[in-house]
Amino acid sequence: MALPLEMPPRARSAMSTSKASPMYNLRSSIASTGSTTSLTSLFAGTGASLPRDIVDDIKSVVHHAFVPHIAVHVSDDVDEVVREKGLPDFYQLIRPYGEKVQGRITARDSQGSSVPFEDFAVRFVRLSDVARKPDRKSGVSGTSFRNGEYGGANAGIPEAINSEELPLADELLDLHLSHAEELIDTNLATETESHTGQAFYLLYLRKILSGFPVTSHETWAHPVACLIAISSRNTTPIDTLRQLYKSGSEVNIPGYVNKEYLRYYVLVHDEDKDDIVKSTALFEQMKRHFGLHCHLIRLRSTMCIVSDEDSVPVAKSQWLPASEELAELQRHQEEDIESDTSSRFIHGSDEAAIKTMVREMVAQSVIPFMERNIASWNDQILSRRKGIGGRVLSFSRRFLGSTGTRSASTSATASNFDSVTNSYDPMTPEAQMRKLADWSFMLRDWKLAYDVYNTIRTDFNNDKAWLHVAGAQEMTIISLLLTGQPITPKIRADTIDVYLDAACYSYVTRFRAIYAALRCLLVTVELLRLAGGSSAELAAKWAIKALDLNIRPTVGRALISQRVGDCYAVRQGAGSGGWGGRRRKAAMWHVLAAETWIRLGKFAQARHCIDVAMPKYSNTEFVLIRRFVDQMKLDSGYVSLLDLKIDTGVGGVGGEVVEVENGDNSNDHDGEDEEGEGEDGGSDGEVEKPKFDGKRRSILIPQTPNGDAPGVMTVEESPGTDGPL
Amino acid sequence: MAGSSTSYYFVIIGTKDNPLYEAEFGSFKQGGDGIPKFREEQRHMNQFIAHSSLDCIEDQQWASKEMYLKTVDKFNNTWVSCFLTGGNIKFLLVHDTRSDEPIRQFFADVYDLYCKTLMNPFYEVNMAIRSQTFDQKIKAAAKKYL
Repeated sequence: MALPLEMPPRARSAMSTSKASPMYNLRSSIASTGSTTSLTSLFAGTGASLPRDIVDDIKSVVHHAFVPHIAVHVSDDVDEVVREKGLPDFYQLIRPYGEKVQGRITARDSQGSSVPFEDFAVRFVRLSDVARKPDRKSGVSGTSFRNGEYGGANAGIPEAINSEELPLADELLDLHLSHAEELIDTNLATETESHTGQAFYLLYLRKILSGFPVTSHETWAHPVACLIAISSRNTTPIDTLRQLYKSGSEVNIPGYVNKEYLRYYVLVHDEDKDDIVKSTALFEQMKRHFGLHCHLIRLRSTMCIVSDEDSVPVAKSQWLPASEELAELQRHQEEDIESDTSSRFIHGSDEAAIKTMVREMVAQSVIPFMERNIASWNDQILSRRKGIGGRVLSFSRRFLGSTGTRSASTSATASNFDSVTNSYDPMTPEAQMRKLADWSFMLRDWKLAYDVYNTIRTDFNNDKAWLHVAGAQEMTIISLLLTGQPITPKIRADTIDVYLDAACYSYVTRFRAIYAALRCLLVTVELLRLAGGSSAELAAKWAIKALDLNIRPTVGRALISQRVGDCYAVRQGAGSGGWGGRRRKAAMWHVLAAETWIRLGKFAQARHCIDVAMPKYSNTEFVLIRRFVDQMKLDSGYVSLLDLKIDTGVGGVGGEVVEVENGDNSNDHDGEDEEGEGEDGGSDGEVEKPKFDGKRRSILIPQTPNGDAPGVMTVEESPGTDGPL
Repeated sequence: MAGSSTSYYFVIIGTKDNPLYEAEFGSFKQGGDGIPKFREEQRHMNQFIAHSSLDCIEDQQWASKEMYLKTVDKFNNTWVSCFLTGGNIKFLLVHDTRSDEPIRQFFADVYDLYCKTLMNPFYEVNMAIRSQTFDQKIKAAAKKYL
């Protein structure tokens, strides 16, 4: 039963979806035969749960989105060493290795018990990026405020909350999908799950989550630590480090970012050109000056080529923001012949060294630093708030939700909130509480995070800091869903629904922060969908809401509407009739998604959606639905395997059936007849389009898993018989 | 969606998700002329919406002892009202304004008509209803209440 869990992670990740699902089915069938006594357990196996590796996929996307950010600030000579290796700079070199910290990382939670993580990650960012972006933006928004473009209530909102990644993510996915289409058209790839299924949705989700903007209302993109590096080539190493420390603090970081992050000093030793003895001596000196947060990394400065003995390709970053990936793809297209940038190599020893450095930094410096801060904030800030109120005798987090906030509200009206910049100073209790919550979230202590978000939400509310309220509401829901406690209808109605609604209202109406709203909705939708059952229906409801954020028919919209269908599909009914399921709704949304895909010219995606929806509509007697679906099949070049088999033999019978149907309907209402003819004319026009025709011949026929009765499928064959009607 | 006056899509759905009778009509209230004003792309959506709302009806039919289930589903700004007969035949009305009471009266009349149809010895359950008289009477009921 627990077989997939016990396998080594490598084997598990190598296992494809198709391989994993039979194992899952096996498990469910065992469960259902074992417990015939109770109805609920009988259907539990076939019910709302998803295969484990899909759950892992989605959970890990969420886990890896909210990770500590580590700023990188290096001297020029370090970049020089890396450039000699043929890579742009030190930051680009180490970034991919932050996405999976080697080995097991252990962190203590608020209860003091240590929790191991197999897949801990950090995100490296350039220190200048933390500073520059909001700077540039606030300049822009500053002028627009003066022009009176925004109302007074919005004054001081940094435009950064509206990440420009959103349209770029659409664009990127568009590229990826076109590429997949090409592969399918040229028969290089089959239309398998990996090309059409949820893989693209997960990619889209990851792109949306990969470029968090630096804003005042949340601290995800605020650096937790800063990596300061010099190389052994430096002639005045200690002075340079001091210089870097100083310039790092002086970088124009927005006022709401706490500058008291951890500094981690790294000495890059050039293995090929410099003397290790000298570097070791220097490293000892560094340790004396800067304490324990130091690391000596030995890199080779010579270029590595494929034929070298221990060459390994440079890891590719999975969490590239859409803008960077687009730029990279563009560069590829321009210089695809030389293609020396596409596959760079480094020495295996370098890779091992970087991995060790990242691991050591995270395990021995960053996490203890975070733990220490969490513990002290947990004690000091929370208990100080209690002191102001002077009501509660002993500190207990349990009371925070009720009494603590009440007492704090009186002090908060004296307000630490700066309404001009719409932010809190990083030293105020409110800002520190938010940081406490975010950091405990990063260390996956969902329970503590949930408690703190719950508390600060009311504080922010008292200050009328709406953006902060929305942020806290968003994270309250997400951390609540991650705690894994069962989601009762009461929680759904009183907490999730209410907060989501309020957060979306704040984001969209008050701040026009479409990105923030979309992120909030999509993450919640995924987590709700994982919960299954009626939570999945709620997920679908909010995914529909997310659709409203984006009216234009973009790839993102199509992906989300497909996701609505997926959400409904998760909710399976009980028994042979499937009572309480949402199969019809799932089918409808897949059809709607297919329609959008066709409009976007992504026919493989459309075919996939039609394939999923088909069992519900293949023998429907709703004339307009049938006509619409048939038209869509024609447009997308959809061919069912079963159709082909029957085409020759029973085709005539199918035609007759259709004819009778249409006759019926024209009797019922008079308008039907003319309408039908008009439609037919349109469909003829479509057939003449060479594009679709060509596609129909060249496509690879998907192995449709739906086992409909062949007799039923004859009706479907109507594109051909539609003409003569 | 349908201009100034509201339009209705009415369908009777049998036990096998099959439509027995379909009609579209516009509102006669507020100077409406009773002509449906669905846009072309809305017409097939009506069927999709009605069909997909059966999921919700299956959920709700056990929770209420009334035959009239009121509004059962919502899609964008379209509502679906449902009336469930004892034989698990569903009357669905897709509409874009909320008004429970007139719809209830309309459904009551339709139920009456449907029962009379059932009494026809040549009619069996789940057969499409093609009678001209039935059609006219439904339209008359719609004119009266909607």
